Amino acid sequence: MALALNTKRRMVTAALVAPAVAWLFIFLVLPFIAMLVFSVGERAPEGGYQPAFTFAQFANLPARSAAFWNTVILAPVGSFVCLVVAYPVAYYLAVKTSPRYRLLLVSLVVVPFWTSLLVRTYAWMYLLGSRGIPNLLGMIGFEEVRILNTPGAVLLGIVYGYLPLMIMPIYVSLEKLDRRLLEASADLGARPVSTFFSVTLPLSLPGVMTGLALVTILLLGEYLIPQLLGGGKVFFIGNALVDLFLQSRNWPFGSAIAVTLVVVVVFVLLIAMRIAWKIAGTRQVDLV
Amino acid sequence: MSKSYKENAPISAERLMDELIRLKRGSVTRRHFLGVTGLGLASAVLARETGLFSTPAFADDLGKQMSIATWPNYHDPATFEAFTAATGVAVEVNVFGSNEEMLAKLQAGGTGWDLFVPTNYTISTYVKLGLIDALDMAKVPNYSASTETARFTAEGVVDGTTYAVPKNWGTTGIALNSSKIKAPVTSWKDFFEVAQGEADGRAMVHDYQLTTIGNALVSLGFSFNSIKPEELAKAEELLIRVKPHLYAINSDYQPGMRAGDAWMTMCWTNDGAQLNRDVPKIKFVLGKDGGEIWSDFYAIPKSAANKPAGYALLNYLMDPANAVKEHIANGAPTTDSRVLSLLPKEVTSNAIVYPPETELTPLEFGAAVTLTDPARAEVMARFKSA
Amino acid sequence: MRAFISAVYLFLYAPIALVVLFSFNAGRNASEFTGFSTMWYGKALGNTFLVAALQNSLIIALTSATLAAIFGTMAALGMERLRPRSRALLDGLFAAAIVVPGVVIGIATLVALVEVFSFLNSVLASVWPDENPPQLGLGYGSIVAAHGLFSMALVTMIVKARIASLGRDIVEASGDLYATPLTTFRLVVLPQILPSVLAGFLLSFTFSFDDFIIAFFVAGSKTTLPIYVFASIRRGVTPEINAIATLVLVASLMMILIARILMREKKPTN
Repeated sequence: MALALNTKRRMVTAALVAPAVAWLFIFLVLPFIAMLVFSVGERAPEGGYQPAFTFAQFANLPARSAAFWNTVILAPVGSFVCLVVAYPVAYYLAVKTSPRYRLLLVSLVVVPFWTSLLVRTYAWMYLLGSRGIPNLLGMIGFEEVRILNTPGAVLLGIVYGYLPLMIMPIYVSLEKLDRRLLEASADLGARPVSTFFSVTLPLSLPGVMTGLALVTILLLGEYLIPQLLGGGKVFFIGNALVDLFLQSRNWPFGSAIAVTLVVVVVFVLLIAMRIAWKIAGTRQVDLV
Repeated sequence: MSKSYKENAPISAERLMDELIRLKRGSVTRRHFLGVTGLGLASAVLARETGLFSTPAFADDLGKQMSIATWPNYHDPATFEAFTAATGVAVEVNVFGSNEEMLAKLQAGGTGWDLFVPTNYTISTYVKLGLIDALDMAKVPNYSASTETARFTAEGVVDGTTYAVPKNWGTTGIALNSSKIKAPVTSWKDFFEVAQGEADGRAMVHDYQLTTIGNALVSLGFSFNSIKPEELAKAEELLIRVKPHLYAINSDYQPGMRAGDAWMTMCWTNDGAQLNRDVPKIKFVLGKDGGEIWSDFYAIPKSAANKPAGYALLNYLMDPANAVKEHIANGAPTTDSRVLSLLPKEVTSNAIVYPPETELTPLEFGAAVTLTDPARAEVMARFKSA
Repeated sequence: MRAFISAVYLFLYAPIALVVLFSFNAGRNASEFTGFSTMWYGKALGNTFLVAALQNSLIIALTSATLAAIFGTMAALGMERLRPRSRALLDGLFAAAIVVPGVVIGIATLVALVEVFSFLNSVLASVWPDENPPQLGLGYGSIVAAHGLFSMALVTMIVKARIASLGRDIVEASGDLYATPLTTFRLVVLPQILPSVLAGFLLSFTFSFDDFIIAFFVAGSKTTLPIYVFASIRRGVTPEINAIATLVLVASLMMILIARILMREKKPTN
């Protein structure tokens, strides 16, 4: 009887996880194995893949070092700039806004997500092109300023696209913060600035870490923003990757880069989790 | 089939013809037609419609829509609107920036294109890879081989079989905004020098290997089609040196040139003609030291979903009356003397569209090997990701 | 401080305002405002391919989000019952599904499916009775699968967090009162996790609806709205795109509003 019950229980468990396991296997594990196999292959004469066993593709990785460094530098820089802009907003929303307007203002942070990022980025192409902001600058005496298709434009696009993703986790962690702590700190004679640095900031660190990790990881695979605002000149590793499949048709090399990118992402994630655990002193931090 | 046909209410011969004509005119959908005539059940029994519609009575069932892959600013939207009005087939236009990208998409499969516009040097590769159909010339009666210019049509025929027919020819020259650039630019050598000087931050190069590497090679005194490692290395060095000074690497340069963001670009004849027509201060010149002369073709992918519509549009575009309108709108020189004779004088006398033969002499046709050569592909990719 | 906050909101909304403004442009260019007109709304809704792309995006987003919500919730419930080692493995796979960049997911899925399809198609061709065997290819299925991967992991993550904070005693109490496990699930567990399932569904829908890079690789001949917009950027954006974007924005704002009103009406009775 007990055995039968146990079998039944197991079957229910298996039935519950089976679809997800099958999905993960077919569309995550299998493609990744395909990438690994391809990454040790050779480019077919007309492009594509032909079987081989060589590490030549991995040996050729330095040929994309510029794109790689662009990514590894601009991703953290981008997410840090996001943080600098996002923190005051999240703080204002969580602490300074009256509850009456809070919901509205928080919703307004999320609403941009409901218009296509592509369309909004296209709008930036116009704003940064010579008929947009440079035109306005021209009127006040700064002639021929060029913004579009520069690293600055890409950085701006990144901050624009990812700002809400940074604001939300910080807002959530600040909102949970017990206001009585702030009052207690003030009652004990602490100045607002020192209250901020000794109470508010440390307590919001989990949110900050979540935001930083989230944005950095997403940025490591970014393609669209550099493509549209960088004029095909400011290359992220994601762009180099797409280029290898759509222009050079070098599937094995592309696969090698994809595998490397995944390794880098996992590495960054592990570092982020390490830091997060240290800060929180516990494993209860949701990173993603 | 006959059974299910009987089970449906019989339909009179007149009514059938009436509905058939309405279907052809496009005023009713195929589903409506099948429902009314009782053929719906029958065709549902036949799992695939092709079996039914390949019978002669339905030979020109063109469907409701088709898809063409082509280049930026290369067609008059009115042409497709007129085609849709005539046949009921809506045309989806996909625009690409390079032959490599078209090839990559076709190699990966499932593009859904029914007609596309490859350039001369790519066709032998498409044939070799089995990606395009040999054309059934009986379905393109408007094409006239005898009035075509052999120099531009040759590469559409592989081993005696016609795989592609020419759309038009053209050159790859330099478009420059003469109100911004005062230095004389008459060669690719000048182009790359001015790009680092007067046009710093304002010059554009194409987003594919053939012309970007080719013109860099030409500026150094090498062949446009070179695949010699030491010459490619020099071209790569030049390109990487120029890159920080470029405005963008993009084959769609018209928006940038029109807005004044870009001042100088590698430019195809048709874009040069359009830019100069709308913004007269934008000039178009051919490199004295060389460059590309090309012809673009129409071909039908093996994987096309709606080949009847692909052929119908091809035949429509081959009609000189339609080709003339296209020509006037997009400014790409024709390969067909029938079209040439119909053109107004201001088009045929436009030196951007029909330059004197002497200016064409230094130009080279792209070579098939450049498309598949791994070294050229890699030089381009390194230049972009540098 | 307030000036800074206002500037950030201006930064967030300036491009959106521009998109909406140009949707009312009379000219055919999305970069030069020549007069007020609503004609592009008519043109957009009359454009077969734009409407088809919108439909495709809606179908794909709905399907992938629904499947993700169902399978993701099932997985979250099932993982509770797994042995620690299997659970850790599954956790790792879900985490990977979330953090592996979309561009890699798109390319890897494409590469794997092209190989699998070419194998299956040759098998089909050899066993099929006539000359025209069905061809497997990229399309709805592959986009739903690739979007569903990320979405399912997201739903599992959210629902699991909710389950973790759920009191176990109430489930036990229900069992003590002789409720069958199914009844307990329906009456006790489901109502508690439903908000998180819905949140997961909405996030999944939004993700799928806005995704470009994955669909770009695995869409085959299908065009989604982001793919259409990307292609238009090359071809020259007409205010049609702005009109559709504005309509989507308005529709989603309405949905948020309706959800708010429904929730407000429900609250007093609770």
